[in-house]
Amino acid sequence: MPAAPPAPGASSTEAVIEAPEVRLIGIGKRFPGVIANHDVEVTIRPATVHALIGENGAGKSTLMKILYGVQKPDDGTIEVGGTERSFRTPTDAIGVGIGMVFQHFMLADNLTALENAVLGAEKLHGIGDKARAEFESISERYGFGLRPDVLVEKLGVADRQRLEILKVLFRGAKVLILDEPTAVLVPQEVDALFANLRDLRAHGHSILFISHKLDEVLAIADDITVMRRGTTVGSAVPGEVTKQELAEMMVGSELPSPETSESTVTDVVQLSLSGVTLTDDAGRDLLSDISFDIHRGEILGIAGVEGNGQAELVETVMGMRRLTSGRILLGEEDVTDWDTRRLRESGVGYIPEDRHRHGLLLDSPLWENRILGHQTRPPSVKGPWINRSGARKDTRRIVDEYDVRTPGIDTVARALSGGNQQKLIIGREMSGDPVLLIASHPTRGVDVGAQAAIWSHIKRARHDGLAVLLISADLDELIGLSDRIEVILRGRMVGTFDPAGVTPKDLGAAMTGGGEA
Amino acid sequence: MNSLKRVGFALLAPVIAVLIAVLATSVVIAASGSDSSAGDFWSVILSKPDNRLLVNILNQTTMIYLAAVAAAIGFRMGLFNIGVEGQYLLASYTAATFAGAALLPGALNIMATLVIAMAVGAIWAGIAGILRTTRGVSEVISTIMLNSIALILVGYLLDRYGLHGGNQVRTKDLPESSQLAGWLPFERPDGPIWTLGLLAVAVGVGFWVLLNKTRFGFDLRATGLSQTAAVASGIKVDRMVLISMLLSGAVAGLIWMPAYFGSAHTYGTTFQAGLGFTGIAVALLGRNQPVGMVFGAVLFAFLSTQSNTLTFQTDISPSIVQITQGVAVLAVVIAYELVRRYRIRLEQRTVARARTAPVQEVTA
Amino acid sequence: MRRTTTFAALLSVSVLALGACSSSDSDGGDKASDNTSASASASADVCKDADGDGPKIGLAYDVGGRGDQSFNDSAYAGVAKAVDELDATCLEGEAQDAEPESAREDRLRQMADAGANAVVGVGFAYSDAINAVAPDYPDVNFGVVDGFDPDDKPNDNVAYFSFAANEASFLVGVAAAEKTASKQVGFVGGVHNDLIKGFEAGFTAGVKAVDPSIKVDVAYIEESDLSGFNDPAGGKTAAAGEFDKGADVVYHASGASGSGIFDAAVEAGDGNWAIGVDSDQYLTATADQQPHILTSALKRVDVATFDFIKSVADGSPKTSYVTYDLKNDGVGYSTSGGFVDDIKADIDGYADKIKSGEIKVPTAP
Repeated sequence: MPAAPPAPGASSTEAVIEAPEVRLIGIGKRFPGVIANHDVEVTIRPATVHALIGENGAGKSTLMKILYGVQKPDDGTIEVGGTERSFRTPTDAIGVGIGMVFQHFMLADNLTALENAVLGAEKLHGIGDKARAEFESISERYGFGLRPDVLVEKLGVADRQRLEILKVLFRGAKVLILDEPTAVLVPQEVDALFANLRDLRAHGHSILFISHKLDEVLAIADDITVMRRGTTVGSAVPGEVTKQELAEMMVGSELPSPETSESTVTDVVQLSLSGVTLTDDAGRDLLSDISFDIHRGEILGIAGVEGNGQAELVETVMGMRRLTSGRILLGEEDVTDWDTRRLRESGVGYIPEDRHRHGLLLDSPLWENRILGHQTRPPSVKGPWINRSGARKDTRRIVDEYDVRTPGIDTVARALSGGNQQKLIIGREMSGDPVLLIASHPTRGVDVGAQAAIWSHIKRARHDGLAVLLISADLDELIGLSDRIEVILRGRMVGTFDPAGVTPKDLGAAMTGGGEA
Repeated sequence: MNSLKRVGFALLAPVIAVLIAVLATSVVIAASGSDSSAGDFWSVILSKPDNRLLVNILNQTTMIYLAAVAAAIGFRMGLFNIGVEGQYLLASYTAATFAGAALLPGALNIMATLVIAMAVGAIWAGIAGILRTTRGVSEVISTIMLNSIALILVGYLLDRYGLHGGNQVRTKDLPESSQLAGWLPFERPDGPIWTLGLLAVAVGVGFWVLLNKTRFGFDLRATGLSQTAAVASGIKVDRMVLISMLLSGAVAGLIWMPAYFGSAHTYGTTFQAGLGFTGIAVALLGRNQPVGMVFGAVLFAFLSTQSNTLTFQTDISPSIVQITQGVAVLAVVIAYELVRRYRIRLEQRTVARARTAPVQEVTA
Repeated sequence: MRRTTTFAALLSVSVLALGACSSSDSDGGDKASDNTSASASASADVCKDADGDGPKIGLAYDVGGRGDQSFNDSAYAGVAKAVDELDATCLEGEAQDAEPESAREDRLRQMADAGANAVVGVGFAYSDAINAVAPDYPDVNFGVVDGFDPDDKPNDNVAYFSFAANEASFLVGVAAAEKTASKQVGFVGGVHNDLIKGFEAGFTAGVKAVDPSIKVDVAYIEESDLSGFNDPAGGKTAAAGEFDKGADVVYHASGASGSGIFDAAVEAGDGNWAIGVDSDQYLTATADQQPHILTSALKRVDVATFDFIKSVADGSPKTSYVTYDLKNDGVGYSTSGGFVDDIKADIDGYADKIKSGEIKVPTAP
């Protein structure tokens, strides 16, 4: 076990944390009709980073919940440090040193970092100086650089994540479960996170790292366990396995790749923005002077750290926000003042960033979701009437063509997995021969299989002359799909890149304002 | 999910809710230490109604149903129009004043009066709609206030312009040529089933068609289910808010019309207040569904009407049925949420089965 | 939509619950009167045990019902007396807030169907219902307290009792004027209708007759909604407002809302008075309230009710309009508590002037 480098300010009594060995033996979990987990075998060695990879729906989250005490397994045992344990609640799990860092941060914005750490764990170190000392010592020990009194709302994404990790450490966790921690980070931040994780490992912590980004897994993990269809299908050691092999273990088939084939860009401009500026009520610019053209058959990728104006840009183009100045042309037509419905009627498809909030009626059946956004166009309607049979028939078509896995079109959207929901949305938005597709994070939270399918649908549509505005946080996706990449930073376009020559590092630099552009 | 199962699920929650309400009422009666037992109470309530009461129950049902639809139009898109009370109050007064003036003959007078009642209800509700869309004022607050304003306004106008007689004030009587008593199913003293009860049927069918068959209804439901998704789909939410407030108010305006043309013939002490709030409760009980609300309205009308004889035969105050009604509403909301969750779990399982099934073939 | 629904459910249940509460208030009042009442008025339940062979009475209460310590209780006292003296039996029915007209009619029909031959509707709200029902039961005699015939077809089996409440109000106005230290008094009406305006007019006239410089604050709980007669909380708010503004005597004509006015007087402290209405409310008030109840304007609903029942029993039923005023002791004021003993002579002096016609008490403000 590597010795911890003495951290500045840390007392000499600081001991190396000794994470226990965690073994999951023959874990099985059944829900009526479904086997979520069966015969799962995972061993997390002390002071290692153990990667758990698998498609969405492979059973990772159920396993996580079992390990974190949210659900009880039907079969198998959990051994922590050689002792068999059974957890009834997360409190039991944290009691033996197992903590969880969720993908979606659970922080109170209007409290300080220290208050967030203490909240709910007041009994451990009190709420006074002792808690503050503990906070500062953790922050220093692992180089988190968090100040206790800063308000969380002032923190960036990476700092929030570190605070989440600190929260878990504050509660005495020795084994940390991290659920897709890099999903929200730019490459530079990922590097910083990995440095933190290595530091934690060096101090004796074990980390269960859940991801589907294979490059990252290969970069950080000591051990890799692959899950597929509810069970562990194999394990690997990073030095001895290729990305390709891992991916094949995950999906059981060929690795999808987003790479576009030959260019299909035409000379016809489909969407043109000139000088688009959007100002909020307080007079601040959310978007400043944005201009670009997208041609038929072209995919324009927008790269940027989230919160730099991407959402506003999409909503402005979709007519959901009124721009302060500037002009938008759709083909030859000036659509600056058009509302969303008119734009949609003119052939603008929209894959929203948050499909639950913006893309679906979760409690409505699929065929009603087919109508959403197409309320004024056949086959969903006939004059002022809803065309039930037309909508149902077309929903069946989408379910078939886009491989939406569902027992039927009367199933409510909520019951579908994320990937299938997204496939339904893509199928819907591709209906009625769109001329322009606004795609916001089209494969976010979608498993590898669905991701490949979505990519190929977009590519095929592009081939048929569709213009696409693609916003994504997945730089591989941007580079692989786009014909051109624009980087957005604080509401401005700060650089154009040719995806053929650019690396994620270059883009990351431009996105954080450190680039040459 | 097959249709039989769906019907089962639709019935499950209301049945549970009514059972809980019956239980809670019985407990309250037992706990109140009254000389009469819960058994006495239920034997009075569940006794076969007289012919006269059957007529009353039906007539009440039509008015309660109209009130429920008025509330449901708002609910279906997430708007909380609790101003139904004020809207139908003002509309009833205005309509009665207009009809009593007899500016038009016979049937024409009836038609014009109904239009005016709808218009006044719509305008009153529209104020809340405009306040919400232009100023962001919550319709909950504005409609509560508009209820009070309507009450005071009607009181003032009636006092000022009404006919004073004895200790009462009333509007001019409806001319006989415009009266629409209705159909006598039994003896004359048992009373008629009001003709304009048909308004409830028309409004109910119209509401069902609007919701399920029209684009507008789809937009309305979509806005109610997810405002954000509605915006992204191109629905202008502000416009929808205003239109549904207007529609809700227009239906509210009709609430008292069956009674007015059927028997009251004047707006005065015989005006039945409180239907607006009953309508909200019934809309909840019927889950804002056109058919569900029919059952809710019948239940409420039945309980209220049957409770009238309680003081004759038992020691129990008729107010106790308000507990039954209140508990039923509360229980139905909870029961529906539980059934909804259970149903989603069930569907997710079905989906998961559909997903895993072909895969297992491959791995096998 | 789900959140809306939950919110809506809670709100509408609370509305229903409030309805139930306001009714249970009257039950509470009932209990209070059980504990403190010296009179027979609202204590025992005479109708349950009565089994005489005299007239069979149907008593249909207005909202508030028995236990309102006011109007309805007064009618009940008349019925109790009839049970006592005429061997009468009785049935009771009670109006609910916001009930349909058909419920009122049904209540009366049920009484008539059950064999009642003297049916009394307590409150003018029964006027229309009795007008509709009476022709179907020619052998039953109906009486309406404060009632009137809403159409021009007279019914020969209906009596309408009207009370010169303005005269009684005048007398308690005199009492208020003589007792006020702040030269400011108040009036709280249940509903702003013509009936209650008569109380206001008489009260104001009485006050001004003693000292025209005394200020009279006027408030109504409801503009037109009859719930103003069954809203103690609303009554308390209205009365507290007047006490706050400087009044030290407040007269109420608001039925079962009156207990709120008495509570407001208690909270306003010593030296602040409330004046009751309809029945002698000192007798039914709680021990806390009693020291603050100066007097009550009596409207002898009990007398009218008893007279009517007696007339039916005697075979010469009263019909059409029957007026009760100072002259026939149909109205008056109470002296329980002894707070007006010192000014009794003055008040009686005014009463004589009204009887003789020297003073004409206005009926509308």
